[in-house]
Amino acid sequence: MGEVMHKSLKPLQVNPIRLTQPMGAALAFLGVDRCMPLMHGGMGCTSFTKVFLTRHFCEPIAIQTTAVTDVTAILDGGDAGIVEAVRNITGKVTPSLIGLHTTGLTETKGDDIRAVAKQVDFPLVYVNTTDYEGGLESGWGKTTRALIEQLVEPRSSLRGDKAVLLPHVSLQPIEVERIKEFVARFGFEVLALPDLSTSLDGHLGEKQSALSSGGITVEEIRDLADAALVISVGASMEASAAALLAKNPAMRHIRCGHLQGLEATDALAAALLAETGMDKPHESIVRWRKRLQDALLDSHFALGKTRLLVVGEPDFLAGACQSLTEAGGRVTLAISTVDSPQLETIPADRVMVGDLEDAEKLCDSYDLIIGNYHTESLAHRCGKGLVLRGFPNWEVVGNQLKNDLLYEGGAYFLCEVANAAEQMWRAKHP
Amino acid sequence: MAQKPKIRELLVESSCAHNQKKKSACNAPVPGATTGGCAFEGAQISLFPYADAAHLVHGPNTCLGASWETRLTHTSWPGRDLTQMGFTTGISTNDVVFGGEEKLLRAIAYIVEHYAPRAVFVYSTCVTAMIGDDIDAVCKQAREIHSIPVVPVHAPGFVGSKNLGSRLGGEAVLTHLIGTSEPETTTPFDINLIGEYNVTGDMWQYTPLLEELGIRVLSTLSGDGRVAGIRTAHRAKLNVLVCAKSLVSLTRKLNERYGIPFISVSFYGKRDTSAGILAIAEALGDEQLIRRAREVTAREEVKLETQLAPYREVFRGKKAVLNTGGNKSWSIASALQDLGIEVVATSVRKATEDDKEKARQYLGEKGILMTNPGQEQARIIDETGADLLLAGGRSLFTAIKKKIAFADVNQEKKKSYGGYGGLLNLAEDLKNALRNPVFKNVARRAPWEK
Repeated sequence: MGEVMHKSLKPLQVNPIRLTQPMGAALAFLGVDRCMPLMHGGMGCTSFTKVFLTRHFCEPIAIQTTAVTDVTAILDGGDAGIVEAVRNITGKVTPSLIGLHTTGLTETKGDDIRAVAKQVDFPLVYVNTTDYEGGLESGWGKTTRALIEQLVEPRSSLRGDKAVLLPHVSLQPIEVERIKEFVARFGFEVLALPDLSTSLDGHLGEKQSALSSGGITVEEIRDLADAALVISVGASMEASAAALLAKNPAMRHIRCGHLQGLEATDALAAALLAETGMDKPHESIVRWRKRLQDALLDSHFALGKTRLLVVGEPDFLAGACQSLTEAGGRVTLAISTVDSPQLETIPADRVMVGDLEDAEKLCDSYDLIIGNYHTESLAHRCGKGLVLRGFPNWEVVGNQLKNDLLYEGGAYFLCEVANAAEQMWRAKHP
Repeated sequence: MAQKPKIRELLVESSCAHNQKKKSACNAPVPGATTGGCAFEGAQISLFPYADAAHLVHGPNTCLGASWETRLTHTSWPGRDLTQMGFTTGISTNDVVFGGEEKLLRAIAYIVEHYAPRAVFVYSTCVTAMIGDDIDAVCKQAREIHSIPVVPVHAPGFVGSKNLGSRLGGEAVLTHLIGTSEPETTTPFDINLIGEYNVTGDMWQYTPLLEELGIRVLSTLSGDGRVAGIRTAHRAKLNVLVCAKSLVSLTRKLNERYGIPFISVSFYGKRDTSAGILAIAEALGDEQLIRRAREVTAREEVKLETQLAPYREVFRGKKAVLNTGGNKSWSIASALQDLGIEVVATSVRKATEDDKEKARQYLGEKGILMTNPGQEQARIIDETGADLLLAGGRSLFTAIKKKIAFADVNQEKKKSYGGYGGLLNLAEDLKNALRNPVFKNVARRAPWEK
């Protein structure tokens, strides 16, 4: 592990990559079937979030706002606005749940949403997600925890073949589906919370819905505490796992920092073998491990000569950097959106909380960038290779179908980065 | 405090036709039933295109973090394009508790030192307005230290809609920039383009023609704009308001303060582009100029017709249903008609009285003005035998069900539909949509569906 800088010392962010908790919260609620995320803030907070997610997923995004104005910001403690918003939403559609979450505006004025929630006679989960603390990842994590704390019913017995997956925010819908399938190969019925793999996976529905369509149902969430196994992926999901275990202390917890690369996937497979007493996993898993081994060898030449910058959320960085390092890729710089204990685990020469101006200043230290839409102009200006990953990713289609995880996705990921590296070198030295 | 804009005053706009009836903010937001952006976004839209100025957002990360580098407003500024950069103080809990003024002052200094902008615009947001940061005082202090314009923009999101935010952006420019510098030379045909943001280079579709006529664009608000230009805007002979009702307050005030007359034009479609150029010439009032404007627009129309000829074949007898908002309800209709497509219906759900009138004018007696397009459009497609639906993404399902071509008119567009040249881009896109079999293909039934 190299040098880690947990805090930026600048008085501003230039070309920022930090996204915010309310957005993470909204996205988590969209992983619940027929949910209406209700952002308690100005209408712009919601509008920006809606446009951002719509462009990233190329899907309509269900979300509403309490539309706090300068006047209600002073006169209303949140009660009137929230109650009216719920009335207006439920007058038009019948959600299974309303996902109430705050913003910097309503946290500054100090609304007590817990008290307001009690006045609402409709299924509702509330969570405090100010946007001047944390980021996308923590907003998602806090919301998952709130869903567990406020909905899951305590249990004392276990269903041996049931598992709960708690995925971090940077996992794309198809990746969540692949983890579910992987665990299912060991004989489990798997439920993910939140579950974007059936809501924002880019499927063509029967008609346009005003609510999230797909995702885990509220009934399924209520019944989660009889699962024998809780699998959390990402440091940001550990508090959610702890909250779930509190509902039934008999549950067992498999803690994964991430699921990218050979080592991390081996660890999950080993844990599942130990859980089930099986000798060997399903044949397709065995086969994909061999393919990943081959991909490691095929990609090592290109990756071994390429210095990498990886930009993104902490849990994503941990996985991507580990996977690349296994094939000899040298991550010379990893820039994180926010601080996290995960930063200490990232195999990179230098890890820092920062922005894309920091990346630009240090552009002599890397050849290829793995990062979001905003890194495209950086790559262009500085003549770097580019592999697009993370939020937002506006100019490409199919984000939700990108799989970088486990043995299978790991192979795709290494090949894609190696090809981008070779292409870049060819362009530089034709 | 005297320099802060009066929001109540801005809500009453004597130059706005439909404002006579309503004295409240255009769209008072209803909790749980609101879509659309906030005042900050409006200010951002109207001012960010100044690429030689830094745009510093004083607030938490949501305001800028989710919105920078989103609008394709092109510039010819040879320096670094600051429009496509994001600067934010990204305030923390500590700033909320102890105030963010000191951080803001340091952030401005940082920007001036590293990027040498021609000006810094400082945008307040809900949180920093609420904690009472005095951005006027900070900007004044920064102005004295750095000797460049540092302009406070008071458009925190919660004061209202995008429309109001654009007005507040205009107010900031009026208060702090316009009239603070004199142009090197003036001509009798100096104009300002107000409300033209040069999205996808729309403005460059017609400015070469203005130039050819000897009409000089003295300044813009704010497409391909320069701070040095807008400071001299008070010397223009005419303000040209382009497709933007929100900035009518600014043009009215420029009229009152500096005696500059203003006109409102659109540059979408052939007829509107010609009419716009002619209107500018007529407003400038020079007989020779008007004559040359007639010649140039006639020449361009002929040139365009030749280029459109191959498309006319494709569009012959084609009918379209248009479901979009505001002035697009008629401006796109007009462009479609210029291509030879019959517009059988358009949505006026979100249109103003003025827009409805124009829509009726363009569609004629037989045209259908939809007030509830979500419900009506499927039936109208059946009844009229329409071939093409132009709408937002939500209507895609209607097109698939009816197995007709679909074009998303609300999506962020990547190329210009403005001026004469833009009509060719639109024609090309619609031709591609009409011959694309995808809408029929995705409607195929799966083998296991009965």
